[in-house]
Parts: sequence; structure tokens; C-alpha cells
Amino acid sequence: MKKRPAWLASLITWPIVLLIAFPLLWMLITSVKPAAELFSTSPTLLPKAITFEHYARVLQDTPFLQYFANSMILATSTTVVVISISVLGAYSLVRFAYPGRETLASLVLFTYLLPSVVLISPLYLMLVSIGLANTLASLVIAYTSFALPYALWLLRSFMAGIPQDLESAAMVDGASRMGAFIDVVLPQALPGIISTALFTFILAWNEYLYALVLVNSDEARPLTTGVMTMLISAFNIEWSLLMAASVLMSVPLIIIFAGFQRHLTSGFGAGGVKG
Amino acid sequence: MLDAMSRERRDALLGLLLIAPTVLVLGAVIVYPLLSAIALSFQSVYTPTLEGHWVGLANYRELLGSGGFWAALLTTAIWTAGTLTLQIVIGVAMALLLHQNILFRSLARSLVLFPYFLSTVVAVLVWRWLFNDLYGIVNHGLMAAGIIDAPVNWLGAMPNAMFSIMVVGAWKFFPFVVIAVLARLQTIPESLYEAARIDGAGPISRFFDVTLPQLREVLTIVILLRTVWDFKEFDLIYLMTGGGPVNGTRTLPLIVYQQAFGLNQMGMAAAYAVSMMLVMLVFMLAYLQRARKAAA
Amino acid sequence: MVQVVFEKVSKAYGDTVAIPGLDLVIESGEFVSLLGPSGCGKSTTLRMLAGLEQPTSGSIRIGDRDVVDLAPAARDIAMVFQSYALYPHMTVAENICYPLKKRGLAKADRAIKLAEVAALLQLEPLLARKPGQLSGGQQQRVALGRALVREPSVFLLDEPLSNLDASLRAHMRAELIGLHRRLGKTMVYVTHDQLEAMTMSSRIAVMRAGELQQFAPPDEIYNRPANVFVAGFIGTPAMALADGSLADGGGHLVVHVGPLAVALPYAAAARPDAVTVGIRPEDVLVGEGPWQAQVRLVEPTGYETIVALDAGGLALTARVPGSNALRVGETVAFDLRRERIHLFDKSDGRRWEPAGR
Repeated sequence: MKKRPAWLASLITWPIVLLIAFPLLWMLITSVKPAAELFSTSPTLLPKAITFEHYARVLQDTPFLQYFANSMILATSTTVVVISISVLGAYSLVRFAYPGRETLASLVLFTYLLPSVVLISPLYLMLVSIGLANTLASLVIAYTSFALPYALWLLRSFMAGIPQDLESAAMVDGASRMGAFIDVVLPQALPGIISTALFTFILAWNEYLYALVLVNSDEARPLTTGVMTMLISAFNIEWSLLMAASVLMSVPLIIIFAGFQRHLTSGFGAGGVKG
Repeated sequence: MLDAMSRERRDALLGLLLIAPTVLVLGAVIVYPLLSAIALSFQSVYTPTLEGHWVGLANYRELLGSGGFWAALLTTAIWTAGTLTLQIVIGVAMALLLHQNILFRSLARSLVLFPYFLSTVVAVLVWRWLFNDLYGIVNHGLMAAGIIDAPVNWLGAMPNAMFSIMVVGAWKFFPFVVIAVLARLQTIPESLYEAARIDGAGPISRFFDVTLPQLREVLTIVILLRTVWDFKEFDLIYLMTGGGPVNGTRTLPLIVYQQAFGLNQMGMAAAYAVSMMLVMLVFMLAYLQRARKAAA
Repeated sequence: MVQVVFEKVSKAYGDTVAIPGLDLVIESGEFVSLLGPSGCGKSTTLRMLAGLEQPTSGSIRIGDRDVVDLAPAARDIAMVFQSYALYPHMTVAENICYPLKKRGLAKADRAIKLAEVAALLQLEPLLARKPGQLSGGQQQRVALGRALVREPSVFLLDEPLSNLDASLRAHMRAELIGLHRRLGKTMVYVTHDQLEAMTMSSRIAVMRAGELQQFAPPDEIYNRPANVFVAGFIGTPAMALADGSLADGGGHLVVHVGPLAVALPYAAAARPDAVTVGIRPEDVLVGEGPWQAQVRLVEPTGYETIVALDAGGLALTARVPGSNALRVGETVAFDLRRERIHLFDKSDGRRWEPAGR
């Protein structure tokens, strides 16, 4: 039964939506405004002229591309590691029975709520002592610490929703336990795996604190700390460059969001919230 | 040996094997550091050289006595309460609105959800630019509308700074509430509303009698999660105000960082962190107990 | 030709005992239904046979092999699930060929077997579709096809028809009966529907709370139920059951039930003290007879009328052929078919046959 459009609700909602989206629109507008317009004391809503010089400067005159590459490698590696481990772990939590299983599940839930601030000092010490200070590898390890519980929890819910009869049928048909997992569970869990992978990628892409603590050389610096250090000095904050850098930094997110929004938010409904 | 085991045993072994990587990784990057942090809190460690010695409860005594901890706890509580309230109220309202058949509903949804997935760095940069006293559009807009006469210092003065971070926190994190509540709203059977309508209930009474009870469970969980996550939020406050002005917005997570890497006192930082965790633990247990009682 | 034997099979979940001890021998080529109310353990029994659950103790033999330690794949069985359990991401053809792939059959051989099964079940036009695009009846046939293609020794079916609507169910029942006749394979069928069990089985195993109540061909289950539970469970409308006692009426048996005293032409010796008396609706003859009853409810079904009677406190149900003018509150005369009165020893619920019957 297709409902008729809710005119009153639309009238109330859209102004609020635009208000919420305004900061991002402003970011975009600022990034293409020439500097002169930017720093006038009577700023204009829409730019009088559009320029891409700020983008050019960010890409050419700063280590931005290096940082971008670092973030890419970092986020992708973290996602691969986390998904591989959590797919198996989630399957174990959902379909097997062994002593301690429920305790493990509760512990995973507990780590969901742990402040990363607690772990920064010991993690820092640990990574220094094994010689990984200041490397992308150290970040992958650190990011796994908070991304893995999330991924486990999401995947667990997705997998719990797959009817157990399917695996039973596969086993009667001749598959081994893991054979049934590969032939039946993985294809069925694929939307959930994609959701979780995207979510993990975004978490890793956006992480700041661990990057701040564990890395302070440009070779290994990701975008989050990179953008903050390179453009903010004691004397001058280059807002135009910062806005351009912000837009560029958000490009992967925009792509994922535009193409896969359904996937991202299905995770919340299924697992992100329900205990 | 494997042959002698029953099928059930073999199955359980496979299950353990599959969870082993998870256990190993989490053990190494969470359990071990957590225990180290507790051990660290009983030592005094100088960050650059990583030299340390045992001091027993001295860190805790100083932390509780000097007042730094209590002030920060209060600040954190204020920040959490403020931003949480905004997140829940705006989140639920938005979810209710988006549940209706709005024009261009998917576009509206996307725009509303976007801030949550944005990097905190980007969010902070944008808002700091908006809040800029000289060139920021917020001041210009408010002055143009006649609401204020002179530019307001949003981030460098109290209580402005606290309100500012609460607002930015609400903007960034309320979509989480929207997603969770909207998902639940979409599972409430239409027949419940129809029955209420037949019984003579108007829209307001339908909201309180049908919708709200159905949302109780999801809101309980959402409030718990958001409270915990807001309480431990570091990135947003650090990048917006650095804890200032004059520690006005210095929450517990910020103190931990400052102790470890500003004052180079890792042991002290760990003590603050452990204390923070205990506060959170007490809150969580109390909350869950109340929630269980309310549900019964 | 394969026999299926359950020997002292028990199943416990922690402290809860679901099945205390099951002994059952299913002969080769039989169609056996496991029938009973929900929770009676019939599905658990089937799943233990399939290898999807482990018995706590006892042995299960298929043919001459003890299969308890064997994976489902190694037992040479096929199973049709209540939910059909078709692989949603595979086409119908891929679903049916899956067991063959697992066995390692070459592509060409798989195609041949697929064609045979598809022809048998009229699945040819559906082969390229995915399960989501099929109706319930079509999905059921694909599930059957997937089971048939394995050519197993034993077929297991777990309430395969319960998700279909009534007319389709009747049609599929006939198809399954035909299939069994053609293949002659041993089939173990779980259902809670008496009609399915009665029409399809060579023998029915009635179960309750994990215990086997009676294992016999349908007409024996119907006409000589082994205990009170089976008597009340089988037959629609249900058999009327009431407390009664037996007495010696001058050498022959007299049954006292409610206000009635029914003389039976059997010897009165060696009788239990208290009995439960059972009378099926078709054995209550309304119209003439030595007793009177008040009509409590009249339910015309077109073909016959189901009448609830109250004979001085004794509740009876009767089937009166055709439609008639019986009214609620009316008093009617009735008789009972004496030789079809069922008697059960009250102390243990077991059937008691008087000497001479």
C-alpha cells in the first residue's frame, strides 16, 4: 500500500536536514572560494568566483598524497586482517558449542566499550619494544584492537540470521563442516561481510588517537594526523587548504556512502545495537 | 587420537580452532595491554626514556587528592550529559520524521547520516572554521540576524567552549541514534497503530502508548552505548579545544593523554585511565541493573 | 535393501532427558511415519538418524553399519527439510547437482542424473531459476529432487508438506506415495498430521514425550490402539474416553461407564478393576437403542453430521450420516457397537482385551 507523500512532515524535516548538512556544504563552498573572499569580514554564502587553486596546492605542495597512500594501505590492510579473523570467529561463536563460548562472547562485548585511551600507553610501550614504532604495521595492529570486536559483533548477528537448515542440508548432501561453511554460509553472509568490511575500512580511515601516539614521521603518517600537523602551525591556520584537504580526505567515504549506504546501515539494525 | 574422539568432541575442537586467531589477537592487543595498564598505574614511568620504578598507590593518592581527577570527572559528566541529551532528543525526533513518507526520503536519510561516518578530524576542522571568531559564518550569520552584536568567542571562553563541543558532539553522533531507532520503528507492525486508532487514540496518544513502549528496549541500549562512547571520547574534544580554555573542557580522556605525552608521566596517565574505567564500570553495572528492574 | 535399527537410543540435553530409550526396527523398503504431538521427540529421532544430532547413548544401524560416529555425508541418506533448505544463491539445477558435486561426479554424469530427476518431477522449466523465484510447491519438488538424485539407501523427510496449502498437500501426498512405490526405498517420515501418517505409511510409530507408544500398521493403530494416548490421539473426531469399571454379569462381562451398563459377550474372568472406556464416534448409533442422551452440539459437514451427546453425564460424540433435523437440547435414543468398545487398564493405560475377542 503506497502511502501518499507526507507534506507536513517534509516541510518540517527538510529545513532541519539542510541545517544538518550545512557544515558540509560550507566546507565544499569554502574549498573553492578564492582566499580573498575567504578572509573578508563580510563573507558571502555562495562564492563569487570558483577556484581550484587550494586543491592544487594541497596535492602539489604538501605531503598530502603520501598521507593518502598511507591511509589507503592502512585501512585496506586493517580491513583484510580484521575480516579474515572475524569471519572465522563469528562462525565459531554462532554455530559451535564448546565450554567458554558465552564468556568469550561477553568479553567481546566488553571490549566494545573499552576506552582506547587506557590502552595507548601500554600499546605504545609494547610496539616500541618489538621495534615497530613509527610504522604502518604498528597502526594496523593497534587498529585491529578496536575494529575486531566491532566486526565480530556485526558478523555474529549476520550469521545468526542464516537458517541452520541450509548447513544441515549441505552436510547431508556430502559437505564437511567447513565445506558447508564455504559453499553455503559465506555466500549467504556476503552482504553482511561487505557491510562489515566497509564499516571497518571507515573506522580505520578515520582513526586519530592511535595515529597521534604511535607515529610521528611523514613516511608512515596517515591522513588524520597528517592533515592536522601540516596545516596548523602557531602562526597561521590555512583554512582554505584545510577545507580542500578535508574534502579530499572524505572522498573514499563519499564514494562508499553513495554506493553502499544500505550496506552500512544494515549493520546497525542487525547487530550494532541489539545485544 | 582424533578417531577415538566422538563427533561432538571433534566438532567442538573445530569451533575452538576457528576462534583461536580472535582470542590470540585480542589477547595480545587488548587483554595484555589492559593488564599492563593496571600494572603501569602502580609505577612512575618517564615517557621519553621509558624508565620506571614502583610507587605503589602514590599515583592514585595524588590523583584523588590533587583535585585534577575530580574536576575532570565533573567536566566529563557535564559534557556527556549535555551531548547525550541532544543526541537522543534530536536522534529520536529525526527518526520519527524520517519514518514518514518524506519527499526525497533517501536523500534526506543520506544527508542526516553522513556526519557519523565522517572523520572526526574533518568534522572538527569544519566546525572550527564555522566557529571562527573573525571569519566564521556562525558569528556572521547571528550578527546579520541581529541575535548578537559582536563576534562571540565560541571556543576560547567558558561556558561557550563546553556548549560548542556539546553541539558538535551532537551533530557528529546523533545519526547513530537515528539509525537504531529508525530500524526499530520500521518493525513496529502497522496493526498496532490501526488497533489504537480504532480504540480512539489520537496521534499524540498513539506515540506515547504504542511507539514509545516499543522503543524502550532499543533506547535503553542506545543510551548505554552512547553514554559510554561519549564519556570516553577523545578525538573530538582534543581537536576542538585541546581541553581549554584553562582546562574548562578537559575531560578524563584528555588528562590521560596529557599525562602520558605532555607531562611524560606514563604511570600517572595509567592511574587516571584505570580510575576512569572504574567509574565507567560502576555506571554500566548500575545502569544495567536499573534497566533489568524496569524491564521486569 | 536396507534396514534401520535404533537400539536403546537415548538423548539428553544436560539434565533434561528428551528420549529415555528408543528401540525401533524399520524393515527394508518400509515407509515409516514418526507421528506425535510437538515435543514428542520425532524430529530429534530423525535428526539423530541423519547425524545432525548425536545420541547420548545407544546405537543406530543403517544396513549393517553402526552410523553413530559417521558424519551425515557418510551415511548414504538423503533428507528433505520442512523449510526445504534450498541453497538461495544457487539455481535449481545447481541445487540438485550439489550432492553430486560433493561426491566428485564428473560434469557429464551430473548432467545425466539431473535430467533424469528433472523429468521425474517435471522440473525442466525451472532449472535456471533461483529458489526465491519458485512457489512453495515447486520448492518442495526441488528439495525432493535434490534428495532423489543421491539415490540413497534411506530417505528422511521432516514434515515436508506442512508448509503447503491443503490442496497442494493432498496432491503431494499422492506423489510421495507413488514415488515410494516406484523406488521401493526405505523412507522415514516425520509428521504431526495423522492423515498423512495414515495414508502414506506401511507402519506408524506413535511417539509421546520421547517414548514410543505403538509401532504398527495404520489399521492396527486405528482399530487396536495400544494405550489411551494412542487411542485419543488417532482419529478425528477424537474417541470419547471415560472412566469405568468392569463387573461380572452372570458369567459375561459388563462395562459400567457413566450411567450406562453395557453387556459384552465375553468371559468375565481375569479382569482389571478400573478401566478407561473408549468409544469412537462411528460406533455410536443414533436413532434407536436402549439408552437416551441429550444433544449438546450439532456440526453438519455436508457429508455427515457430528453430534455431541450427553448421556447422563457421559460425553459422547457420534457421526450421523447425511444431514438431518437433530436439534440442540433434543433427547435421542442411541446404541453402541459392543464389539468395538475399547478397554484400557486404568493402572497403566494399556489396552486390555477380554478373552475371546
